[in-house]
Parts: sequence; structure tokens; C-alpha cells
Amino acid sequence: MATGEMSLRSAEAVAGNAPDRVLVERCQKGDPQAFARLVGLHEGMVFNLAARLIGDAEEAKDVAQDVFLQVYRTLGRFEGRSSLKTWIYRIVVNQCHNRHRFWRRRKKDCSRPLDELTPADQARLVAGDRGQPSPYDEVRRRERSGRVQAALLSLGFDHRAILLLREVEELSCETIAATLGIPEGTVKSRLARAREALRVRLLACLEEGDRA
Amino acid sequence: MTCTRVRAQLSSYLDGDLSPAASGALSAHLETCPACARHLESLRAALGMLADLPRISPSEGIAARVFDRLEVETRGPGLAMVFRSFGARRPLIFPSLVTAGLLVVTVLLGSVALDRAWRSLDEPLPPVAGAWGATTPASGTEANPLFPSADVGLPRARPGGPVAQDILAQMGEGTLFLETVVARDGSVSAVTLLTGDRLFAQPVVDALRRQKFEPVRLRGRPVAVSVYRLFSRMDVRSPMT
Repeated sequence: MATGEMSLRSAEAVAGNAPDRVLVERCQKGDPQAFARLVGLHEGMVFNLAARLIGDAEEAKDVAQDVFLQVYRTLGRFEGRSSLKTWIYRIVVNQCHNRHRFWRRRKKDCSRPLDELTPADQARLVAGDRGQPSPYDEVRRRERSGRVQAALLSLGFDHRAILLLREVEELSCETIAATLGIPEGTVKSRLARAREALRVRLLACLEEGDRA
Repeated sequence: MTCTRVRAQLSSYLDGDLSPAASGALSAHLETCPACARHLESLRAALGMLADLPRISPSEGIAARVFDRLEVETRGPGLAMVFRSFGARRPLIFPSLVTAGLLVVTVLLGSVALDRAWRSLDEPLPPVAGAWGATTPASGTEANPLFPSADVGLPRARPGGPVAQDILAQMGEGTLFLETVVARDGSVSAVTLLTGDRLFAQPVVDALRRQKFEPVRLRGRPVAVSVYRLFSRMDVRSPMT
């Protein structure tokens, strides 16, 4: 199956997925408003994950479109064995992987430092719940984000994907295994290597932080 | 427990995946080994930095673009273009359709213009209506030849035909003024005696009719040319000494 939904564990179909199931059923019946709601619910997650995986906001927009088009086309085959979100995660990772391979084959780097986005894009960076940071803090935060993103992009695609799913999207190793279609043991060993690689790349940054 | 083994298990330790015994042993090692403790701290800090990355939101709603593309895929752009109200938002394919349409029109117009240009080279010019309704034959044809000018050169005689000396040998004393029409294929279509003795002129006229010329061209198109020639023969006698 193209989206690998069948391989996802049935354990994920928990009670919390009930609203998803209703939404999916309405989408399957061809309700455009339901599909608009589905896109609205997940577009932030899809775009953020794609942008971090690819490192380019414009490419991430295209990926997000492709993801939802694929969701629309294959929703009829979604059987609710996994959560809708997990199913969409898998599509995002696959689409980003395809795009990554496309650029690598052309020996080009499609990434663009995310902190060099347009002012309008930067204004949309959600600062979290830190309140209003001072300009100095803002500059430091941006610099740190740029270095973390650069470190992330210097890793292989598999390591990047597993780190983002675990540390940013906070998925369990079991869900990641289902999402990526690999055994849970592989997820854990790959995660350990990816974490260590990231630590090594951020060592200089961490030492600077300690001195500051 | 060696440092290498401890560091290999730090990821599982952070996730709480180790058995209580293994976890206890690792904690005990960390208390006695500052290097491994620092390693764990730096790992935690690096993962904290990753988790602290700000979430990026799309600059514009993705749903609208997805729906535009879905509409184009399901209905086809042609019908969507025709039956939509003027104020309705256009899908992204619209600009490319306009460009494609302009390109097709340009190619068609270009091919028609080229076709007409070629035809004008092959066909004689259409006849022109005169002042009293009589039609004048097309310019450049045998019935309405052109006169030599800066654009239309003099016809060059082909080798093999009678040359000036031969013609002069045919004529007797006197002066002949003749009009020769060189046809589009280079042959002589008409020779008219304008001035001179008809009897003396006949051999010259016959010789001129046998002449062959290179076809004269105007802008690549062969045209008939009218040439006026004056033949005069006089005996030059040597001076008396």
C-alpha cells in the first residue's frame, strides 16, 4: 500500500481518534468543508516538519500541498487502524525524502537558512510562551535556531527525520517505527546515533552558551 | 561498566528504556565519572535546543492552494475558465494558459504571413485597373515590361547567341532604333522597330529574336524587361595622305 497505513499498529487507534474518524468519514463522503477542516487542523504540523526536514520554506509549501493532495486521493483507503496524524506524518516524511533525493541527484542543495526568510515569514515564527523577548534575546535565539537548523541539515535524512519526530513532534519510538515502516529496535539504535551526531555538531555552540 | 558502554546507553537512559538494574548501574557510573556526566549534560542540552526550535507557520493558507489544484485536476482548467464567474479566483494554471494561447496565435499569424510572402514570389502581380476601367497587365510581365533602372539591371546576353558584331554585319547603312522585350525566362518575346528602314532592319530583327539572356530579377522575382537599342553603322575611311 502506497501510504503504508496497513502497517501502522492498531494500538494507535485509541479513543482520542474519534473526532478524526468522524472527519475522515465526512471527507470520504466528499464533504469539502470537512477536508478544509482536516487541512486546517494539520497544515501547521505538516509545514513545520517539512520546513525543518528540507530547510527551505518555499519548498515546504509545495511539499505541504503535495501531502494534502495525496491525503485527498488516498483517503478512501484509510481504514482508521492508526491515527490520522500518524498517517499524515508518514506521507510528509516520504514526500520530503523524495524531494531530498530529487535535489541530491541534481547535486544541488535546496536548503535555505530558515532565519533568512522574508520579514513577513519571520514575523510568523511562533515564539512559544516566552512572552516578549528583548531584542538581544531575540537575536541570540535566532542565531541559536540557525545553528541548530544547520546542524540538523548536516545530518543524513534518516537521522534528521527520526530526531524531528522524536524531539520536536514528541512521538513515541513505537509510533515512529510505524510511521517510518521500520522495526522499533532500528528506531532506537538510529535515534541514539542521531542524538550523538547532533550533540557533536552542537558542542561548540553549547560551550559558547556555557561561557555566556 | 566502561565509559564507552555507558555512553552507548545514554540515549536509552534518557528515554527510560533501560531495565532498573542497568539504569542503576549507569547512574552509579555517572556519579563517579565527571566526563560521562558532562557527556550526558551536553546530550541533554543539544536535545533541548532542538526541542526549543520555534515552530514555523506557512505564510499563507495551504488549503486554498490545495483546493485550486484539486479543482484543476478534477474539472479540468478549460471548463473551469469558461463557467466561472468573473470575480471568482483563478487557479494557478490561468497565467500559463494565457501564455500558451498567445504563443499559438503568434505561430499561426507568422505561418500565414510567411505563406503569403512565398506565394507573392511565385505568382505575377495582379492586374491594376486603369483610369477608365481598362485593366493594365501586371507590371513585370511580357505585356507590361519594366524599364532598366537602379533596381532592374540590364539583361546580360547568354553565350552562344548572336553577338553585336553578327547583328551589325546583317545591317546596311543607316540607323535603327529598336525595342527588345526580354521575357521572364530570358528569351526575346518581342522586337519592335521604332525608327529606321524596315527593309534594312529585318535581318537585325531576326537576329535579335534569336538572342538569349539571363532572366532579370526584381527582389528575387523574374521580370520582363524592355530594352531600347540604337544601331548605327558608318564606314570609317582611313584619312587621305
